[in-house]
This record gives sequence, structure tokens and C-alpha cells, in this order.
Amino acid sequence: MQRQMRTLVLAAAISLSVSLKAEFKASAEEGKKLYEANNCGSCHAMDKKVVGPALRGVNDRRSEEWLIKWIRNNEALRKSGDADANALYKEYGGAAMNIFENLSPDQVKHILEYIKTAPKPVVPKTTTAAAGEESGKSDSNTLFILLALIGIFVIVLVILGKVRNTLRRLASEQDGTFEETSKGSFIKGLLPEKLAKMNPTVLTVFTVVILGGIGFVWSYKFGITEVGVQKGYAPTQPIAYSHKLHAGDLKIDCKYCHVGVEESKSATIPSLNICMNCHKGVQKASTAEGDEISPQIAKIYKALDYDPEKIGAEAFGPNPKPIRWVRIHNLPDHAYFNHSQHVKVAGLACQTCHGPIEKMEVVQQWSSLQMGWCIDCHRNAGIDAANNNYYAALHEKAAKDLKDNKNKSQYFGPDGKVKITPAMNGGLECAKCHY
Amino acid sequence: MSNNIKYWKGEEELAKDPAFLAARKNEFPDALPLDEVLGEEGVELNSNRRDFLKFFGFSVTAVALAACYKTKVRHAVPYLVKPDDITPGVATYYSSTCGSCSSACGVEVKVREGRPIKVDGNPRSTVSKGGLCATGQAGILSLYDTERLANPIANGAETSDWSTIDKAVSDKLKDIDKAKGRIVILSNTIHSPSTLKSIADFKTKFTTAEHITYDAISYSGIISANKEDFGKAAIPAYKFENAELIVSFGADFLGTWISPVEFTKGYVANRIPTAGKTMNKHIQFESNLSMTGTNADERFPMKASKELLYLGSLYNYLAEKAGNKQIPVPQSGELAGNSIKKTAELLWNAKGKSLVISGSNHIAAQKLVNGINMLLENYGKTIDISNHSNQFKGVDSDTDNLLNDLSAGKVSAIIFYNTNPVYSHNAKWADAIKKASLSVSFASTKDETASACQFICPDNHYLESWGDAEPKAGEFQFMQPTISNVFNTRQAQLSLLAWAEATPKAENDPFASKAILSQKLSASPYYIYIKSNWAAQLNSNEAFNKALHDGVWSAVAESKPVSYAGDVTTLTNEILDSGKSNGTDLILYSQVYLKDGAHGNNPWLHELPDPVSKVTWDNYVSLPKSLAHKLNFKEGDTVNVKVGNTTLNNVPAMVQPGQANDTVGLALGYGRTAAGKVGGSKEKGFDTVGVSAWPLIASKNGSRSWFTNGVEITKGDESYALAQTQTHHSIEGRDLVREASYTDWKKNPAAGNDKEKTHVYTIWEKRDYRKDGSPNHLWAMAIDLNACTGCGSCVVSCSIENNVPVVGRDEIRLRREMTWIRIDRYYSFANTSKEIDGNYVTREKEIGQIDKGDKGDFAHWENIKVVHQPMMCQHCSQAPCETVCPVLATTHSTEGLNQMTYNRCIGTKYCGNNCPYKVRRFNWFRYNDNDKFDFHFNNPLGKMVINPDVTVRTRGVMEKCSFCVQRIQEGKLKAKREGKSPSEVKVETACQRACPANAIVFGDLHNPDSEISKLYKNERAFGVLEEINVQSSVKYMTKIRNTETI
Repeated sequence: MQRQMRTLVLAAAISLSVSLKAEFKASAEEGKKLYEANNCGSCHAMDKKVVGPALRGVNDRRSEEWLIKWIRNNEALRKSGDADANALYKEYGGAAMNIFENLSPDQVKHILEYIKTAPKPVVPKTTTAAAGEESGKSDSNTLFILLALIGIFVIVLVILGKVRNTLRRLASEQDGTFEETSKGSFIKGLLPEKLAKMNPTVLTVFTVVILGGIGFVWSYKFGITEVGVQKGYAPTQPIAYSHKLHAGDLKIDCKYCHVGVEESKSATIPSLNICMNCHKGVQKASTAEGDEISPQIAKIYKALDYDPEKIGAEAFGPNPKPIRWVRIHNLPDHAYFNHSQHVKVAGLACQTCHGPIEKMEVVQQWSSLQMGWCIDCHRNAGIDAANNNYYAALHEKAAKDLKDNKNKSQYFGPDGKVKITPAMNGGLECAKCHY
Repeated sequence: MSNNIKYWKGEEELAKDPAFLAARKNEFPDALPLDEVLGEEGVELNSNRRDFLKFFGFSVTAVALAACYKTKVRHAVPYLVKPDDITPGVATYYSSTCGSCSSACGVEVKVREGRPIKVDGNPRSTVSKGGLCATGQAGILSLYDTERLANPIANGAETSDWSTIDKAVSDKLKDIDKAKGRIVILSNTIHSPSTLKSIADFKTKFTTAEHITYDAISYSGIISANKEDFGKAAIPAYKFENAELIVSFGADFLGTWISPVEFTKGYVANRIPTAGKTMNKHIQFESNLSMTGTNADERFPMKASKELLYLGSLYNYLAEKAGNKQIPVPQSGELAGNSIKKTAELLWNAKGKSLVISGSNHIAAQKLVNGINMLLENYGKTIDISNHSNQFKGVDSDTDNLLNDLSAGKVSAIIFYNTNPVYSHNAKWADAIKKASLSVSFASTKDETASACQFICPDNHYLESWGDAEPKAGEFQFMQPTISNVFNTRQAQLSLLAWAEATPKAENDPFASKAILSQKLSASPYYIYIKSNWAAQLNSNEAFNKALHDGVWSAVAESKPVSYAGDVTTLTNEILDSGKSNGTDLILYSQVYLKDGAHGNNPWLHELPDPVSKVTWDNYVSLPKSLAHKLNFKEGDTVNVKVGNTTLNNVPAMVQPGQANDTVGLALGYGRTAAGKVGGSKEKGFDTVGVSAWPLIASKNGSRSWFTNGVEITKGDESYALAQTQTHHSIEGRDLVREASYTDWKKNPAAGNDKEKTHVYTIWEKRDYRKDGSPNHLWAMAIDLNACTGCGSCVVSCSIENNVPVVGRDEIRLRREMTWIRIDRYYSFANTSKEIDGNYVTREKEIGQIDKGDKGDFAHWENIKVVHQPMMCQHCSQAPCETVCPVLATTHSTEGLNQMTYNRCIGTKYCGNNCPYKVRRFNWFRYNDNDKFDFHFNNPLGKMVINPDVTVRTRGVMEKCSFCVQRIQEGKLKAKREGKSPSEVKVETACQRACPANAIVFGDLHNPDSEISKLYKNERAFGVLEEINVQSSVKYMTKIRNTETI
């Protein structure tokens, strides 16, 4: 046992010394990883000035030693009185670069190697939005073609049937075997023997009731759950904004963009100046090669008439054009809903109604938004009555009722837990939502 | 009840008019107007079998299609750059100053997503103290008026380019100035320091320019009298709050006179009987039954032409007591019951705490009033002449002289600013204007005067403008834009400055410019101009912004003692002349809502029933019963009015109880010919609304006289049905209002509010929402009949807040008005004294006993008492409507609200039928989308005023007052968000917020400290129709009249 241990330690030591002895070789692959992990792309592009200078050729412009110093702590370099560093700082309007002392000099070398070998940009591909629109179109086209084909087939079938019947009739007339068969008997012929023996009136009534019943149940269910219900509605938006990327991967708080959610009835679709808080710097898609401004982000710039070439441009251009988003959640006019009531007061997570929004590449209407859906929640959700002064009386009343064994059952949810529901505070009354 | 007063709503009810009786039994006058509704879609109602099959087939297809229905794609367009102070869905409020008339009340503008949707009074205003009249409330709609000019007009052609107009105008002005031609700016009263300065700048550039003030409804008499008596040509500030006795000779100070909101606030300050406080007393002498007259404790009918005589008598009585020299006239001026002498005694006892005013525009009358107030030592106490009012400054003779000069070609350039003399002064203006080589109007629509001008340079609406105001000396108010310009308009001040080449530049901003609303608005040159003007007083950006935020800034100087130089004895001849007047007087008055007619295109104001007659959409000749009897006048007849050489034929007329004998009344402000599609336009082919009474005005001693003596009234040939709302419901002889005298109240605070008579019976188990309802709230309302003046501000406010449609004259005739709150006006004969008891009862069953005037005695028709009672859904705890709804569309909430759910309603109207208060209104048409109702609701611009928090109802549903549930929800949510207790929830209903008399109180009965809880315990509180035990949530306070007996 001890021996084994010793061998292991030895082996580790040897391998360590070997690696230490090995000559340092900057790896572009390693550099790319570090470049991405440290979000260098937020402020830099290869062939273009963004927030900071274009990086291609930086290895030729500056010495490696200088670059390591600058990248790891540009502030210290500037303070040391380095003329180049200060000139650069001035050139970019005093926008200081972040300090990356967490990077070792070797790691910086990796990054520089990556910059040196970074591939030249390829010819821009078609924009994703255009692609999306096309695929959307082709989808509906296929469906249309399919339907048309089915229609044609049905017509062909019917015609063929007719032709067949006529031919047969002609044939039987020639044979002299033609006999007028009534429709009733034809249908009867199709039925099982037992049914065929039944009184035709009873049979007809029976059939009509059965069919009518099925029809009614179906149409009722259809009317209740389908008509005007747009669950799953996920229209193509003018900008292919991904909640998955922003809320899911980047974990940006929903409230950062939806600023009205705690004070207004509307959560508000963010105004573009909120987008620009980040996208003044972040100009290209994280997955994209090269420095091309993401076509989606370019739409923001176009809407604001903003010129990304002008570094630090404060004002937006004189010809802005607002973005017409497609509304996904459409409550009827006579239904009042207030986000702040549910988010600020009740403390509900956005996902309660909007579903796993942080996983949605394209936002869809997750809930049915039907009145039954609202009511269910108002019957079953619990109010945190103890921690809001407004509900003090309600809380007191509940406590008293429970103590006095009065109307006790209403305070127990299906899960057996004690709760005060919105329904107990009048949350089912018409004029809470309709006026 | 301790009195035997019998109330009635109108002559029809009193006289048991057969048509009225028939209509009364049928609440919904017609069957469903299917023809009209289907006609909208081009479908005929008469159908045969084939049509039936077509409909059937269509319906099946329609249903099938509806099942495949996909909601159309809707878009959401967020701000590009969100302004800091706007959150979509949350209202923002801005202080400003009402520009609807020159009284200039302070306002608070509610703005949603950049569009103003409601205007209410600004409580910080020292002038209006949070009140706002109906005209001011409705003024927001003129912002969204489709008649507004979209561009300036030069010589009849619209142009979008201001610079060419500026060049053309300023070139002409320069030429005129060079040639020393007269340039006149004719405006209504301007008291804005910055506007006056811009005019002064204009005058600096063009030295021959002068500024003349013309007010259509002028107070020339007061101004001229004060000039002679005190050496100060101004209207004094009246302090009604300091007056224990108010005597008014024909001044409608609660409705139209000078500054009605301000005066209402002062009037009601001492109007509520409270222990340990003296209630004021109000005596009114007048010819018409004015809104103010309906509120008087004692009202005496008086012929306006004899006013001088009565004022002279009053003066002499007082002079006798004071030991002053009397006016040498025989003491013959006295009214029935020695009322002048009695008034004199009361006044003498209230020396220094009284106020005598007159609505007359005669200098002599106003000089007598000055003399009387001097004798009563009221100056400095109830009247302040040193810190005077600026609200009206026009002197009539100036305008008359200008017209003469203009007609004679002595004026080279004329600029009209906020005036419309072609309509309201004299039709001769139209020709006279053409004699000037330059004529410009700043009118925002192509009104009567603007049509005659070469250039129309449309002014902004006040909600789009920067501005300031000084309605009373030292009391300043500010105006700020709440929306960017809807059309290509420009503030008139900027036009003047542009022509004077004095447009302020951004560099002139006295303080480092920081955006107030947004970059665009702050860049308005006039904003810079105002800031520069205020730099001395408000010497930093913060100080200026604070003043703008508050909307007010005061620097009132101390009152100085007055020096009176008047001598009333010089008026002897005029008083003697007045005594000789004979024949019928025509009283021309300004209607409470339309005032001088400037808002003639505002449908809300036309639809609002007159506070007294309840007539909508027309003016009419109000006849005393005696004259109607003499003319054999029947309801629906018309009359011809002959004044001198002018005759108005076939003017609609009605019998007005309370109209003084030998007088008739006719409202000014109607008969616009170039107002627009609502108010009438000759050019566009829209009928005028009412008749213009301006041509009947006579001028006397340089002042326009509001009455003319010796008019001839004859019956017209045509008939005309006025659209009157009052008699749409019947009172069935029930006790709906209660009143008592102040003397009785002092003995017993529950006087007049006799509970013994109330029989409480019910078929239900008693529901008690206090115990079983929500533990958080129980909403209720209280309305003080003593405070309510009937001004109608609440009605307009409610209509704006709740998206109530305008229905128009024809629909009102069919009793289909839609307002959720109405003000019921009840008449009763003033002298129910014993000697005539039996003749004046109006209980239906006893109505046969009435003296119909067969004996030729109409004295009782002159002496009318009135009670105003706002009526809206009473939110009954045991509501009759709720039990009859077959689809549960109307239900009760645990917070005490009677809820109306439109999406459930199928329009059976059972609820309306079963409502004892008749406050449910059936929605007959799709008013918001039907061009038959071409008012404001059917066009995109007019729709901008819609409150986004309230559903726009479609046809076929019932609707009614909701206690402004949207405001309740908002108030509760705010408390919840902040974790406040339910008692801290603050909710004001729209009617309450608007009421200038503080008559309406709304609140939570679960909060024992709330005002409403206290009022519910008040001895005066009663519920209308308490006896049917519907447990209403609205309580009324018994009306107490400051008299000895009732």
C-alpha cells in the first residue's frame, strides 16, 4: 500500500517536472478559449474599431512585453507614464480597458497567438432573420401544396367513383340486369344484420342523437379550448431576439429590460436605449466568426439611426424608426390585468405564466390566458398575507377563523396546507378584472 | 318629514301632460331599433323566406368561419428612447393652467403615454383651489378636435411652411409701420405676464401697434365704475369665504360670473351647517332663474330693467341707517313682501361681513353697488380692490370705437387673438376686416372671424403650450405642454415675436438648460422666453422647475386701504328712468357651459343638460308662466322675439318656472355658423346649434347691456321639441329630497330628516357587508345637497373618465342619454304657506287641485325653490337589479360595489327596469364606430381622449356608474405595493375630484376615521328611497336653507 503511494507521488513529480521543463508554446486554440472566456469580443473586434481598437496586427504594432503589461493592467501602465499607453487612452476618449490581472503572462501570450492566427472574415452569410422568414414561408407553402394535393386527390377519387358507377350502370343496362336500388336499402346493406332489422325511424333518431351528441361535445370543447385561444402562438418577430441567450445563458434579470413590471399594468417591451446599454459594446453575435456586426443587432442601430463607427456616439440619429414587435399576449379589452399586482405584490416568477421563457429561442404564448386559467390560480394560489400590511385584516380573520373552527375548510388547499387565496380577498369578483 | 313641500321635476309633470304620462310608463321608449342598427350594415329588416334562408346560410358560414378565426396580428411599438418620467401604463400628472376661459383656474393634467386624457383642478392653485368647471373639464376635447387647422392658411390656401407666412406678414407690417398706419392686436383678456411682454416686444418693433382687449362677455360696467369711484379700472377680488350674507342682483356667480370656480369654493366654505360655525345666507334678486338663483336661500324675482330702482332703494335704506345722505328719489323701489327693506336690515346687521354684487353691465348699477358696499364697510374684508382680479379687463367702448375706425379704413393691420368679434360682437366686422391691408387671426379653427382674415396662424391648444398667468394680482400660475403639437401650429406669442424679429434663442436661456420634458419641448423658444422673463423672481433652474411643478407662485402684496371718490346721488336720473321701464324685458345671459360660445364645437358641453332647465343642444326663450298663458303657449311651440328692428323668428321656447313676470330669457353663445361639425358650420353644411342672440344686444352708456326693455314676444308658426333630460323619469310623488330651515336645524340637527316615515320591509334576509364582506374595504359615497350647486362639472368629468359617449339631440329626445351621473333638479313652490295650502301641492294624486292659472294668478310660478340632487348608481347592498339579471352580469362585490360585467351582459334591460333610481343606461348603438354619431368618438383624433383603463362598451349592453372601480383598483394596488394598510388607500372618484363645491365624498366605511364614516353618522344623512330598503351605499345630506321656516 505504502509502496503504491510512493510510486504514485513519484510519477506525479516526474510528470510535473517534465511539463515544467517543456518549452512554452503559445497555443492559438488555448488563446481562443481565453479570448471568449474573458469576453474580449465585447469590446474588441479583429478588423474593426468597436469600443477598443481592432486587434488584427496588434502583435506587429506593439511589443509583446508592452502588450502583456497593457492587457494585464493598463491602468498601472498608464500611471507609469508610458507615452503609448496614455496616447491610446486618449484616442479612445478615456474609455478605460478592464484590468485582467487574473491572466498570467503566458495566458496573454496564448491570446496574442490567437489574434495572430485568427481567420480572416468569410463572405457574410444570409441573415438569420431572412432565413427564418423564408423557412416560415416554405412551411406554409408546403402545407398549402399538401392541402391542394389532398383536395385534388379527393376530387379525382369522386370523379373516378362517378365514372365507375356510370360505366357499371351502362354495363348493367346493356346486360338488362339494371335494377333501381333505393338508397335506404343500400345503407341497410352496409349495416350489421341486427341493426338492419331495427325500425328505421328509431335507427335514424338514434344515429342523429349519437352523432349530434358527439358533435356538440366536440364543438363545445373546441369552442371552450380553441376559439380565440392562442396558446403556443410564436410569431416571427422583426428582430430574432433570443430570450434563451439573454435570460437563460447570460442570466440577465428580466426586470433589467422589462422595467414596468413592478409599477405598471404593462411589463413593457424594452425601449431600444435599454438594448443599447450593452449593444453599444456588444456588436457581433458571440458565435460569429469575424467582426461583422450581427444582423440582428444592426437592426437596433438602424431603428435608432445610430452609427456604430462613431465611437461613443451619445445621441441617436435624426431618422429613427420604431420597431413594430408582434404582440404575443393579447388580452381582450374588457379584461384588466396588472403585472405589478402579480410580480411586485404577489411575488410571482415570470415563468409562472410565461413558462420557461429562459429556454425559449422564440417566445411563445405559454398559457391559455383563458378566464378559467386565471380563476384556477386565484382559487389555489396563496397570498403572503403575513408580510404585507395591506392583508393584515384578512390574515387576522383567517387566524381567528382557524382558532374558532369557523369556515375552516376554506383555508386548506388541496395539498392540505393552510393558505389565504386571492379568492378569499374577492379575487373572483367580476369587477376585479372587468370594468 | 317635518315639512309638507311637494317637489316636481317639470311643468309636464305638474300639468299631467298626456304625452308625459304615456312616456313615463314606458322606460325604454322604442323596441330595439333594429332597422337603424341593421341599416348601418346595409341590411333591410323586411325579409321573406328567401332572405331568411340567406341569413340562415350566412349565419352558419359566419359561425363556421368564426371557429377558424385567428386573431389578427397586433403590434406593439415601444419607445425608441423611453423618457425618464413615462412608464407605459402609468399616468403622469403635470400642473398647468386652464386655457378654456380667462378665469385661468389651475389644473392638473393626467397624461397617459404622452397624451392628455383628463384635466382636473390643481389643489395648489390659490385661485381655484382644486376646482374646475364643466367647461374646463371639457376643454381637453378641443385639443382633439378635427376642426382644428392642421396648417397655417395664407389667403385661403393652406401651407405647411411658416417661414413664407412669417415673411409675408412681417414685410407687410414693416410697410405699414413705415407708413405710420395703425396696427391693432385685438384679444380677449390677457393676464399672462409673458404674453403681455411679447406684445410689448411687438409694439417696440412696430411703434404704431396697440393692444385692445375685447371680452364678449364683458365686465365693462364694473371696470368703468371702479375707475370713476376708486381710480382703478379693474375688477376687485371678491372674497365669498369671508361673507356671512351674500346679496346678488342678477349675478350668476356660481355659474358664469367672472370666476365661478373660485367663487364656488368661497361660497361653500361656510355653506355646510356645522355646530359652532355660522352658515352664510344668500339672497338673490334676478329675472331668469339662474343656477346661482337655484341655490339662494331666498330668491326674489325682479325685472332687470328696474334693477337700478331697487339698488337705489337698498342704498337709501342703508344710508338712512348709516346717517348718510340719501339719493333724492321717492322710495318706491320695493318688491313683494318688502324684501328690499328686509334685505337692508339683514345687511346692516352683517356690516363688514356681507357682500353685495350685481351682474349688470351698467356703470350706474355698479356704482350703486360700490356705494352700498362702502356703506357696509365691506372693502378690505369681503372685497379687495387693491389686489384686484385680472380675469377680465375688456372695456366695451374700446371695441366699439375700433369697429368704427376699422370700418372707416383708419386701421391698416388687425390681428385677432382669442377673439371672434364677427360672431359675438357685430356682423359688420366681416366687411370692416376687409378694409385693413393686413388681417391675421390666431384662431385654431376657421371660425367666423378667421374666415374673413387673410392669414390664419393657428395657435397651439393650451395643453400644447408654455405659458404663465396672473389671474389675480400677485397670484401667478404656469402652463406647460403635456403633448407635442398635434398639428402644425405655433404659439401665438411666438408668431408675434417672429414678426417682431425677436424670437428667443436657446443661448438666451438664463440658466443652464436642462430638459424638463424632453429635448424637443424644452427647445421651444417660448420656453426660453418665459424662463428669461422669470429670471428675476425665480433665479435658478430649480426654482423655476419647482414653480412649474407646483403650477403656482405667489407674491401677493398687502392690501391697501381704499379711497372712495364716488357719489351715488349723481345717479338720480338714471334711477328714475329705470323706474319708468315698462313692457317685457329680454335677458341675455351666458349659459353655464357654453359661456361666450368659444367652445361651440365641443359636444360634451352641448350634451350636458342646462343646470336649471335641463335642456340640451339648444338655447331657447324662457317664458314666465303668465306670459305663456297669455300667448296660449303649449309645449313644443316656438316664439318670435322682436327687439327694435331685429326679429328672431320661431325660436324654441319653454315655460321656465321662476322666470320673473314680464321678462323672458335667451342664452348667448349659441348659433355658431363656423364652429364645425358639432356646433354648426355654413361652409361645411352642418346645422347651427341654437340661435345666435348676440344681434339682440344693445349698448348703453358704452357698455353692452345684458337686458333690453320693451321687447315683443309673439307665438311662432313652427313647433320645435327641445331635447330635455329632466322629465325622462318620474318622481311618482315620492320623497327623494329632504330639506329644512337653518332655524329648525339649529334646534334639531336631524330636522327635515324624519326617519319615522321610513317603512323598512324586505323579502330578503338582510345582507350586511359590514360584517360579512371584505375585511378591507366597504366603499360608500356621501353627497351634500347643501354644497351641490348643480354646476355639472361632475357629469363631464364622469363622462371623460368612463368613456361615456355623446349621443346627440335626437337620441336625447328618445330618452337615450348615456351619462352615468345626472343632476336631478326638483322644483317646489316657495310659498307653501297655509293661506294657499292645497293649491300648490304637487303630489301626483293631488295634482288636480292645482291652480292652473284660471284665476290669472301666476305669482307662485315666479317664486320657485330648487334642490339639485346628483344621482348615480347607488350601489345598493340589496340591489334590485342583481336579482333580476338572468345571466349574472350584475353582481355584488364584497367591498360593497354593484358590479357591471359588460362581457356577460346580453341586454335584456331587466336590471334597468327594476332599478328604482333609473341610473342604468342601455347602450343602443356602437357609438365609437358609427358615423351617425359624428361627435368625437368615431374618429381617430377624438378617440385619443379615451381612458385606456376603462372598457369602451359596445352596443347592446347596460352600463352605469362603477364608483370609478378603475381608480379603486389603482388605489388599492398602490397600497399593496407599498405594504400600507387598507385605511391608507386613497381613492377619489372622478365626480368627487371634479366637484368645485366639495359636495361629493367617497371613501371606505371600514375606516372609522374616514370622512365618509363621519358623514354617515351625520344627523342630516339620508338615503334616497330608504323605505324600499335597498340599502344604498350613497347617502345624501339634507338640504338646509338659511331661512326661518321652510
